[in-house]
Amino acid sequence: MRKSQTTRRQVLLAAAVSGAAVAVPAVLRGQSSVLKITTWGGKWGEIMKGKVLPAFEQEFKCSVEADQAFPYLPKLQASPKTDPLYDVLHSNSNEQWQAVELGLVERKITAKEVPNIADVFPYAVSDKIVGVSIFTSAVGLGFRTDKGLVPPTSWNDLAAPTLAGQRGGYLIPVNSLGQAHLMMLGRIHGKGFEDLDAAYKALEALKPIKLFDFTGQMEKALLSAEVTMGVLHDSGIFRYDGQNQPIEFAAPKEGVLALEQVLNVTPGSKVKELAFAYIDYMLRPQVQKELAEGVWYSPSNKKVRLEPKYDGKLFNTEAKVAQLLQVPWQWYNAKKDEIDARVQRILKG
Amino acid sequence: MRAKVDLGVIAYFGLNGAIVFFLLAPIAIVSVFAVNPTPYISFPPVGFTLAWFAKFFANPDFINALWLSLKVAAAVLVLSMLIGATAALALVRGNLPGARLATALFMSPLMLPAILTGLALFQIYLLAGIGRPIWGLVMGHTVVAVPYVIRTTLAVLHNFDRRLEEAAAALGADPARVFLEVTLPLIRPGVIAGGIFAFIVSFDQFPVSLFLVVPKGETLPVVLFNYMKFDLDGAIAAASMVSIALALTVVILLEWRIGLRAYLKL
Repeated sequence: MRKSQTTRRQVLLAAAVSGAAVAVPAVLRGQSSVLKITTWGGKWGEIMKGKVLPAFEQEFKCSVEADQAFPYLPKLQASPKTDPLYDVLHSNSNEQWQAVELGLVERKITAKEVPNIADVFPYAVSDKIVGVSIFTSAVGLGFRTDKGLVPPTSWNDLAAPTLAGQRGGYLIPVNSLGQAHLMMLGRIHGKGFEDLDAAYKALEALKPIKLFDFTGQMEKALLSAEVTMGVLHDSGIFRYDGQNQPIEFAAPKEGVLALEQVLNVTPGSKVKELAFAYIDYMLRPQVQKELAEGVWYSPSNKKVRLEPKYDGKLFNTEAKVAQLLQVPWQWYNAKKDEIDARVQRILKG
Repeated sequence: MRAKVDLGVIAYFGLNGAIVFFLLAPIAIVSVFAVNPTPYISFPPVGFTLAWFAKFFANPDFINALWLSLKVAAAVLVLSMLIGATAALALVRGNLPGARLATALFMSPLMLPAILTGLALFQIYLLAGIGRPIWGLVMGHTVVAVPYVIRTTLAVLHNFDRRLEEAAAALGADPARVFLEVTLPLIRPGVIAGGIFAFIVSFDQFPVSLFLVVPKGETLPVVLFNYMKFDLDGAIAAASMVSIALALTVVILLEWRIGLRAYLKL
């Protein structure tokens, strides 16, 4: 009978394999993990479904269920916290604040869980952010270039009497750009973002104003000349680059509002490690570049190098991001009902 | 000699004309948008293009959603007719205690905002640990579609001449034969009419679907709503035209192949 002998090499190999198995995150071992996320539609959704998510699935050997059907927060709220409908919530900052108040997402994500956070601009993880902002747009003024307008330089230019009935804003109760703009009015005309009296007075001065639900509607209203100037994010203008459309974006001197694309993890996620890996992946320079140049969003990762066409317009340097203003969503959400009632009275009719 | 002006006739035609206008104007406007080449919705049109239809048919999200909507609506049509017709028969013929209360309960989905029905079903499914299966979506649509079939079938049953059944029974037909050869053909118009409503309600259903659809399994109204948030172009109008044409085709086919013929038999 031959006695089996274990050589030193075999022992070392076995140790290395078992060591690697322990060291490699469960996420990389799990062959059948499913990551449930929310994401946007439109061009963003096309790039995500066409390139970004398939590459993630291949690398992490998992499948991603990307929900593009709004509303995300009520669905997440209705699902059990211990088995949430989503592992990663992608939303704008205002909704993340609502979610954290309800205990539906984590308050903070650090470089410990998501290493690429070490490379993001400070605004992406500031105290105004729940989770991490992976991109931002700059909210300023979109205007038509064929109507003889002097390009706006200040938020106050939107109130010019010549723009009566030709300026555009949002239905404040349902649109975060409208809400951020209201706070901006308080900052410009009063003591700060939280000066509601000054904001209401300035809002009154904008009447008559055309109001929209979504930014997509504002874009089309500008394109069709239904409005000649309106509150809009830069990507809503830049996306028509090269299409010979008479519209342009202006960054007011008082500063532009940050419209952050925020990712966050749900505390009850069963695949938390995979969820963090996904956020880390979304912050990789090559993924950031792909999406930034696809939809004209400013990347949060400082290491992203954009093509000159994008580099000149997007907010991707320390000097440029210094112009971004982040509004106090936690404060706004707490007062939302009161504000909604008041602005509806102001804008009635 | 001047002709006498009949104000009543003018009011009659005026009112009917206004109703027809308000019914058809949205379809007419959407059809104009669907062939207008501008990348935004504008009036009057500046040209003619079929590019938006091409964009619609080239987009797998739209096409998958369209097929899913049609399949779900077809399943809802069948289920609603089965459940609605049998429920209506039971309510009228079953001598059930509390039949009025049961009728009110069956009709209650029509009184509830559909979005609440969707949210409630969503929570039930999640709490039961069954997720959001496609049959869950079909059941959700069926809940809001069944009252239409019950209502139209009840209307037929209330005008039903039961002597026809009695005559068949007196001539030797057993209860099953009476049901299949007398009762069923007579209530069929009501069931079919309700079924057509059920199909349309399901095909256009948005509030219930909003909570019950899953990623890569979204119905057309949900896909259109999400698309509109980011791209408000002519593809939306083209999608609307295709969906109107399909729904109309199905309804006409049902009415022609089953509905009208049944009426003619009467």
